[in-house]
Amino acid sequence: MSEHDLSFDAMGSHVRFLIGEPPAGGLPAREAAEGARELIAEFDRELSRFKPDSELSRLNADERERVPASALLRRAVGAGLFAAERSGGLVDPTLLREIEASGYASSRAGMAGAPLDAALAQAPPRRPARPAAEPRWRKIAVDDERGEIVRPPGVLFDTGGTGKGLAADLVAERLRGYSRFVVDCGGDIRIGGEDALVRPYEVYVEHPLTGGRAFVLRLSRGGVATSGLNIRIWRDGNGRYAHHLLDPASGEPVWTGLVGATALGDSAVEAETLSKAALLSGPRGAREVLAEQGGLIVHDSGRVEPVGPLARPPRVRLPRREPNGASA
Amino acid sequence: MTEARTESRRARRPGPAAVIWGSIALFAVLFALFAYQMSAPSQPRQQVLVRKLIKRRVVTTVVPAPGESTVSAGPAVSSTQSTTGAAPVTTSAS
Repeated sequence: MSEHDLSFDAMGSHVRFLIGEPPAGGLPAREAAEGARELIAEFDRELSRFKPDSELSRLNADERERVPASALLRRAVGAGLFAAERSGGLVDPTLLREIEASGYASSRAGMAGAPLDAALAQAPPRRPARPAAEPRWRKIAVDDERGEIVRPPGVLFDTGGTGKGLAADLVAERLRGYSRFVVDCGGDIRIGGEDALVRPYEVYVEHPLTGGRAFVLRLSRGGVATSGLNIRIWRDGNGRYAHHLLDPASGEPVWTGLVGATALGDSAVEAETLSKAALLSGPRGAREVLAEQGGLIVHDSGRVEPVGPLARPPRVRLPRREPNGASA
Repeated sequence: MTEARTESRRARRPGPAAVIWGSIALFAVLFALFAYQMSAPSQPRQQVLVRKLIKRRVVTTVVPAPGESTVSAGPAVSSTQSTTGAAPVTTSAS
């Protein structure tokens, strides 16, 4: 059995599809991959905050309270609201002004990040992030019946917290029925297909400090995502190090004692949400965030700590022998 | 008159031996009954279906020697046909 392997750059990241055998009457894997690539291109074109003519930028500039929106934009806003709700407000999709004020107003694709070890040495005392006292995301609603986004004008929306995960999930929906597939949108990954249940995929987790392998997962379905401070990190106008993960309570980059977090989830959006929430929560909170679905956290020291189901050693259960010789 | 009535009551009361042997007999009967029930094949019980839900999740392996880089620069677009499992996938911050 073979897979079609398509890689390209989009959304400021590297995108990759691995697609197995098609279902009866389905498009060959090569054509399915090209179709998925067009979907990613549309996603990038319409939902980028760096493109002034994108539908997202037009939404944020619109002064009406109810704004007509495409199904794609409504889905993206819905994913952002899901993330905010799922994370208790830590993954806040309305911090666009704050992220721009901290120095991330244009795309950093292809730009090398500032050295993380130097940033850690100068970072303020570690503390967990907190949700905003008056969360703006609660004022946003998606009206699918009328095809509109509803929010007070001036509340800006950013897909940054869930965009790549949603892109992976949308492509995965198209690939339902294929024997096996991986959709990797900049490290936010969705895996599926019946054959993957039998022969899981190996997913390497990159260490944010060394760039080496921190862990190897064998995944048969669902999503996995990683958030870290090692890529989107820079020095602001005052020479201070800043990064893209903001504390919703203060609107500023937060240093929690973690430099990376990887999360498993039922979908890539959920995994991306949990990985960001874990990193923002600091070591103690991250263990709670990742307890159910499982994940990894990487401490400032570089120590890798498996959490939840990943922390438990695999159990080997021998078949129980019944008196009549049958296996239970 | 009163003495005669008391006498007849006394006469109707069973003696100690009768009470003892009666108790032993009753015990023996009950014991035999329970022993018979225990040894007899039981009635077929109502079958209970136990549904076992298995949620496949993940099997993990810790790589013993971290440090090997897994990120490589590739061409802008790459489209190939590969055998299953030939190329691992990497999750990282982006």
